Amino acid sequence: MQQNNSFSSMMALFFRFSKLNLKSALEYKFDRFFLAFAVFCREMVSIIVMYLILTRLIRIKGWEMNEMFFLYSFLFLSYSLFIFLFTGIRDFDNMVYSGELDRYLIRPLGLMYQIVASRVDYCATIGHGVVGIILFMKTATNVGIDWSFKNITYYIAALVGGAIIQASLFMISSCFSFWAVKTVNLRNLIFFNSRRFAGYPISFYPGIIQKMLIFIVPFAFVSYFPAQFFLRKPDLSMFWSGYLYMTPVVGVIMFVVVYRFWLFGLKHYSSTGNSMF
Amino acid sequence: MRKYLEIAKKSFQNNIVYRIDYFAGVINTLLMIFVNIAIWKAIYEEEEVLGGVQFKVVMTYIILGFLMQSIFMMEEYLIESKITSGLISSDLLKPLSFRLNIFSYNIGTLAFRIIMQLTPALIVSIVLFKLLPPFNLQSGILFCISAILGYLVLYSINFIVWLSSFWFYWTFSIITIKDAVISIMSGALFPLWFLPEWLHTFTKLTPFESIYFVPISIYLGLLPYDEIIFGIVKQVIWLALLMIAGHVVWKMATKKLVVQGG
Amino acid sequence: MALIMVNNLVKDYKINVRRKGILGAVQGLLMPEYKIKRAVDNISFEIEKGDMVGFIGPNGAGKSTTIKMLSGILSPSSGAISVGALSPYKDRKKNASRIGAVFGQRTQLWWDLPAIDTFELLKYIYKIPEKRYKENMNTFNSMLGLNEFISQPVRQLSLGQRMRADIAASLIHDPEIVFFDEPTIGLDVVAKEKIREFIKCVNKEKNITMLFTTHDMLDIEKTCKRMIIIDMGVIIYDGTADHIKNQYGKNRTLVVEFNQLYRDIELPSGVQLADQQGNKKWLRFNKEEVQVSGLITELTSKYGIHDLTIKEPEIESIIREIYEGGINIGEEIPGDCKKVVSEQYSVPH
Repeated sequence: MQQNNSFSSMMALFFRFSKLNLKSALEYKFDRFFLAFAVFCREMVSIIVMYLILTRLIRIKGWEMNEMFFLYSFLFLSYSLFIFLFTGIRDFDNMVYSGELDRYLIRPLGLMYQIVASRVDYCATIGHGVVGIILFMKTATNVGIDWSFKNITYYIAALVGGAIIQASLFMISSCFSFWAVKTVNLRNLIFFNSRRFAGYPISFYPGIIQKMLIFIVPFAFVSYFPAQFFLRKPDLSMFWSGYLYMTPVVGVIMFVVVYRFWLFGLKHYSSTGNSMF
Repeated sequence: MRKYLEIAKKSFQNNIVYRIDYFAGVINTLLMIFVNIAIWKAIYEEEEVLGGVQFKVVMTYIILGFLMQSIFMMEEYLIESKITSGLISSDLLKPLSFRLNIFSYNIGTLAFRIIMQLTPALIVSIVLFKLLPPFNLQSGILFCISAILGYLVLYSINFIVWLSSFWFYWTFSIITIKDAVISIMSGALFPLWFLPEWLHTFTKLTPFESIYFVPISIYLGLLPYDEIIFGIVKQVIWLALLMIAGHVVWKMATKKLVVQGG
Repeated sequence: MALIMVNNLVKDYKINVRRKGILGAVQGLLMPEYKIKRAVDNISFEIEKGDMVGFIGPNGAGKSTTIKMLSGILSPSSGAISVGALSPYKDRKKNASRIGAVFGQRTQLWWDLPAIDTFELLKYIYKIPEKRYKENMNTFNSMLGLNEFISQPVRQLSLGQRMRADIAASLIHDPEIVFFDEPTIGLDVVAKEKIREFIKCVNKEKNITMLFTTHDMLDIEKTCKRMIIIDMGVIIYDGTADHIKNQYGKNRTLVVEFNQLYRDIELPSGVQLADQQGNKKWLRFNKEEVQVSGLITELTSKYGIHDLTIKEPEIESIIREIYEGGINIGEEIPGDCKKVVSEQYSVPH
């Protein structure tokens, strides 16, 4: 029997999954709303701190408040997009431990497709997304950006690229679940701390941190370089100008490399299973 | 007394088991300090003195703030887990005070954090980040007293929030929101004098500044002697009020449990 | 050619030997040291289309590992599996559309939603034609009474209801083969009986091939003609269920709770004291040598009795009996009757 998995039928199925996820979330309307609000509050802390500090000053190292908020908005919007599309990657370790992965393996669909399609964390999507939208609305029109077709295209590409970079980072740690290694804490450490760095222009940091944010945990491509594409602050001269266009490229390359590693992990998994822990 | 000491000891040992968590905790604190110092350095590049305070003072404030936060972290979901698992009913029947049980557990964790996490983080802070010593011996001693009171105030607030599990069951949202409010209003992340005038006045009316801002200000010698005493007295008063409030909420919670049978 | 053919199947697990201390953990990360555990040890069997086979053994015997290899979740360490001429692991997706599976301990239903939503989703996942889907749903409704609870969130269902819905979900796409992994675990007697009836009925009407793991002997007795007993990764019996029932399952245990503590009690011949605890005593006997009613009458006339229960033999005791060689196994020793699988059918590696 030949399975005919055309793109359109895959998309239709994807929306079926999303619909069920939404329906699940709405089972606990108040709870979920409150949760999204809590996430929003938590994320607003860093914004409020930045705002309070910056109201006293005109600018830091040539960056004005609105410009810094514009930079920050990339971080929130791309994270929100990442969670909306790839919650399954974030929760992957849990799928391995709970045996959900085994269930996916006996269905006539691609594994990565099911992982991505099966879950959406609407609370985190909304919590982060709203912060991002507030920042974007506040800054988009007064940091001197001409919202031409070209710029809008770049903006969207940068957000998607940023989301894919973050998905790849999460996927690296999820690979370790195949070897029955619990990495949630380590992942949170690496991911969320690096993300903290990325809330401010990377030129604020010593060279080694800048290099780390470009080459190792490439958060610079999630917020700093996309923002600089529009703002062109003078500290851009510290870096190669080609970086400005690299966000989607970095995202795709990372994803491909990490995906290969992930497939390798999967192969290992099917030779050991999760029955041994 | 012995029983509670045993609980604290057990919680101390529990913390040792999670080795990755331990390293993550230390590195996390140091990284947070590092990020914030880098940002403040950038801010001070524009001006020598901000709000009448020098960079090295602000830097010490930030470092102390994060070091204190790292040891003031508590077992936020202990009560929730007892309620959701249903263990609460049998715990209440045991011949030991539930509230002291929870407190002892947190004290054990505190001891673990002071010995295992604060020590390395403090050494790195002194060597790498040039943490200033206390303003003088007196402010050093008063800082310790004030910091203990700060911990107790935070604990009392937390305890009331944790008890909300008796009504709401899951407490992740409310705890997250509480953390957000505290991190802004308590001076944990930045000196409160950077707040707008009206908001700073408002925080003075809340128990939050008793947690971090008062002890750190004492450490830095920013307050005259009578204001130090005033600050500490305020901490004591808040602690007393919060303990009474906690007691009332606790009575309501246990009554609810009895009425509804868990 | 049999639908399922398993030939000299072996599954080894590598278990990471954990070393102590931080240095050990680092060392373990860089130079892992493994111990090999053989979960399935050179087993072979065949299952014909439409057969219903009970797969029984104690926990950790290798039942689940075998099922996982048959369904394509795990790859074999060596040996060959062919399910309808496909290798389940290599042709995972193709194989997946022809199989269904129920894992008793986990549900595939969406926990917070009514079961009907999961069924609808499965319709799209397996691309089931609308007409076929409706027919199947009607069949399951009438046989399992799904309509009573299909619109309630799954989390509110009883275990028995949930299991009925789970079984229907595994059959909705008309699979040729269904694996039931402990489908009756944790259920009460009535719910178990319902599920056994249904499984038997579906097997008969739709001619679906079924492999059924359990550690409840009754499950097998009531549903399967053939049974395979596996212990420590090795098949120790492959033959009719009746044979086992008649030959091995003759031992019964009478659990007696006395009113008071009797140090010594007089037992009729053929009855052994297997265990005692407080006022309770476990008495083992062969049901063909000793009549239960007689035994109970005798006990009640002599002693004060508070409670009585009769226990059917458990798989563990049957396995013990097989090892002890108490009963004639006949020709059905593993390996002997299964040499028929010729090399040409086994899937090349």
